[in-house]
Amino acid sequence: MTWKLIGVEFVVSVWTIVTLGADILNLPRRNRLWLLALAGLSLAAIVLALQPPESLGESFQDMFVVDGFGRYFKGLFLVIAAVVIVMTREFEDRLSAPLGAFYMLLFTALLGMLIVASVNDLLLLFVGLELITFSLYIMTAYLKTDPRSVEAGMKYLIIGSIASGFLIYGVALLYGFSGSTHFPSLHKAIVSGVIPLSAQAGFFFVLAGLGFKIAAVPFHLWVPDVYEGAPTPVVAFLSVGSKMAGIIALVRILYGVFLPLHGLWMDTLAILSAATMLYGNLAAIVQTNIKRLLGYSSIGHAGYLLMALSSGSSLGVSAVGYYLLAYLVSNLTVFLVIVAASKTIGGDHLEAYNGLSKRSPALAGALFLGLLSLAGVPPLAGFSGKLLILLAGAQAGQLWLVTIGALNVALSLYYYLMIVKRMYLGTPINPSVIRVHPVTHTTLILLVLGIFVLGIFQNPFLQQIQSAIENQQWTRPQFPNAEPP
Amino acid sequence: MSSPLLAIILLSPLVGALIISALPPQNLLGIRRIAVSSSALCLVCALGVILSYDTVKAGYQQQIYLPWIPSLGIGFHLGVDGISSVLVLLHGLCAFSGVLISYAITQQVKEYFIFYLTLIAGVFGVFLSIDVFFFYFFYEMAVIPMYPLIGIWGSDVKEEGVVRFSKEYATMKLTIYLTLGAVIALIGLLWLYVSSGSHTFDLIQMQQHLDNHPLAVSVQRSIFLLLLIGFGFIAPMWPFHSWSPIGHAAAPSAVSMLHAGVLMKLGSYAIIRLAIGLLPEGAKFWLPWVAGLCVMNILYGGLVAMAQKDLKLVIGYSSSSHMGYVLLGTACLTSLALDGAVLLMFAHGLMTALAFAMIGHIYDQTHTRYLPDLGGLAHQVPFIATCGVIAAMASSGLPGFANFVAETLVFVGAWDSHPVAVACGVVGLVITAVYMLRLVRGTFFGPALRSFASVRDASSPFSRLSYALLIGVLLFIGCWPRPILKIIDVSAQSIVARALRQHQPEPEPETIPVEWVKVPNP
Repeated sequence: MTWKLIGVEFVVSVWTIVTLGADILNLPRRNRLWLLALAGLSLAAIVLALQPPESLGESFQDMFVVDGFGRYFKGLFLVIAAVVIVMTREFEDRLSAPLGAFYMLLFTALLGMLIVASVNDLLLLFVGLELITFSLYIMTAYLKTDPRSVEAGMKYLIIGSIASGFLIYGVALLYGFSGSTHFPSLHKAIVSGVIPLSAQAGFFFVLAGLGFKIAAVPFHLWVPDVYEGAPTPVVAFLSVGSKMAGIIALVRILYGVFLPLHGLWMDTLAILSAATMLYGNLAAIVQTNIKRLLGYSSIGHAGYLLMALSSGSSLGVSAVGYYLLAYLVSNLTVFLVIVAASKTIGGDHLEAYNGLSKRSPALAGALFLGLLSLAGVPPLAGFSGKLLILLAGAQAGQLWLVTIGALNVALSLYYYLMIVKRMYLGTPINPSVIRVHPVTHTTLILLVLGIFVLGIFQNPFLQQIQSAIENQQWTRPQFPNAEPP
Repeated sequence: MSSPLLAIILLSPLVGALIISALPPQNLLGIRRIAVSSSALCLVCALGVILSYDTVKAGYQQQIYLPWIPSLGIGFHLGVDGISSVLVLLHGLCAFSGVLISYAITQQVKEYFIFYLTLIAGVFGVFLSIDVFFFYFFYEMAVIPMYPLIGIWGSDVKEEGVVRFSKEYATMKLTIYLTLGAVIALIGLLWLYVSSGSHTFDLIQMQQHLDNHPLAVSVQRSIFLLLLIGFGFIAPMWPFHSWSPIGHAAAPSAVSMLHAGVLMKLGSYAIIRLAIGLLPEGAKFWLPWVAGLCVMNILYGGLVAMAQKDLKLVIGYSSSSHMGYVLLGTACLTSLALDGAVLLMFAHGLMTALAFAMIGHIYDQTHTRYLPDLGGLAHQVPFIATCGVIAAMASSGLPGFANFVAETLVFVGAWDSHPVAVACGVVGLVITAVYMLRLVRGTFFGPALRSFASVRDASSPFSRLSYALLIGVLLFIGCWPRPILKIIDVSAQSIVARALRQHQPEPEPETIPVEWVKVPNP
């Protein structure tokens, strides 16, 4: 019974050893390792797809729960990992250290994400998050000869450790209040009695710890340097996967446990959301390095996600699910183009992108669509996500927040268009043509297709998300702004 | 009665763009043929729509409905009423002649037509959608292609050889302004959706719901203001107009044609359709302010146009001046003035498209648009000069052109409520005559200049066809406005009646219009 529930996690943990062993035995060759990694992911995907619905349940003393919500995000995590592996294939000659170990770290981080998707206990949440960040600390500093990469890893480690400290301190306080770290017991304790100040403080400490993971203001300080210094595939993994894990944890905690205290956190999240959106998008305008710019833009996106979370409605949670999916395809498109282009154009400075459309129309076109989708332009994926979030915000009656969110669309469009301007209107320093490997090319086509499909046919995906959260015990009864029948 | 006309109009440019994106970039002939045939198909269907519009039944016709996101009340709902069918025809005409004019584009032809056809589809989508979600969807979709279209194929605006502003600046300003306007309107639309409690984005259902459960007056006023400012950006209502003249000036001629001809009308159309159509109390409160602002549009735009030396800037400012008349007609809440406003959108769209096509040809041949450098071109380009004179006459509202009929209707309809604005409007017509005649004199008349000896006239039948089409329709409507006015009037009356319903139970004594423009009520 238990084994059926953790099948996906089992495959992924086995693969950490497989990739490491392959590296030691030098079998297969270095430039074939990515195929091995992809094979592991496919196996995990098959196991996930074959998990029969009746096998859903809890295990490990209820610490681990497999439900529709978790399975939806597990699927997304596997997609992210697959694209990151394609990026790593493109990037591998720039990674000097052992490649097998890199894939191993990728799988441990993925394992952490899969665990976070299924947590039902604060301690397991801590374990999952630490698994993610510890792997990412090492991956960030993987370019050992590049001082910026090492600095990024160091910075990430220090600030990340502080965040973990916040998180575990909050967990301790909550344990002191309820005598359990288990979500349902915590929920029971909150519903049944008065909540002392220490428990409230514990709650906010946990919130702060998760704020670091999703890069929300004022816990965003690590973002720009880490995004600039880390290897690009790691940045992509960080900006999509790690953020998604943080958001899932927030949803599980805020909606699964603390929904009765909605009044306590709604305004806090709303204010954080406004600050995060404004800071991220304003600071992005002046950047000159594309990865740094995307770091600030990812802060802006965290702001939108917080807006949806602050709504406290099931529409808000659906919007989060949709937005993350849209963010996944758009952001991975952008990063894949950066990885594919950076070797030839030489660096991540924005000037290097001058005249990209003349050197590679395909890469420029994909980057154009990815950026516009991030900005939220129809008929692309980001538009649907942003619209759902704004709708959820409006339905929760937070018109001031919706106003800020809507104005940020225009703000972010400005700096995304500045990149587009360089690509299409600038003259290239070096007019040589950029070659794109067929694997990268195919992945890009699939991602761009996803951007269009998500932007035009919202209903199938939205229904999928809605049905995933419908089975949650935590949705309907407590929701203050429940949808009409 | 469901016919596929509207779906064809919307999909034809998109399919065209898809096919073009699959063609090799060297296949210029194929690319152009596909673009021409898809826009011609749109024009034919648009004609079919307006000819088959049933003025007895009125209301939205040719509806197509597909459920899209049922849980949020979003449906893919297309349909046209009298106003939108006229604007669809306008867009069909401008888009078709724009594609013909685009034969002058020689670099990156494939990408150009992909963006251009996407733009065409977006604008059609706005006019055809009767679901607020898709209305907004297509509205934004129409704005974004402008960025590359102006940025890549546009031209800097120069004065005496010095760049006054670059195309990069113009296109960024245009895109950001229009997006800003769009998101402001979006806030209003979301607020409307939530506060109406109707749980539907469908315009017809929303309207019914709001009729039965009207919103509080203060809420209506706030939402109306958001929509007015948001759509006022694109209309372009003074003081939100500053993107428009420079955007027009920097754009390639076919894009200026669509832009000044149709895109600006999206703003006034959205104000009529959504703001006035859904929020009668807001309309009563804010429309007098609009009447005041549009006087600024008319006079300020006109006076600035008089001072310009770049041909496109003259027409650009004149467009924002003329949109003032449209807004004036919209602001009166009489069906007569609204008829005039819609007809003026139509007439002005064709006239501006004609003017920009003409200027585009001159610029292609002489490589300058700077008025002091030009002169005597009538010797070399008699056909274009004729078109230019006709555009000038139409623009200054000479009888015989559709503009005259429309402006007269606006003035007569607005006289009762805003006599001062009408007086200013008449002054504005004199200003128009001044700058248009100045433009024509400076460009075409005078002795032939030796430097322009090699300049050629528009000789290919294709380009002549596009000029002839625009002029022909302007003259036809100008001489026989009745059929088109009948179609507009049916819808205008229902909008005005809805807006005036609640607080004015006794019917206002209608001013009897001059007999020959009187539209019989079926």
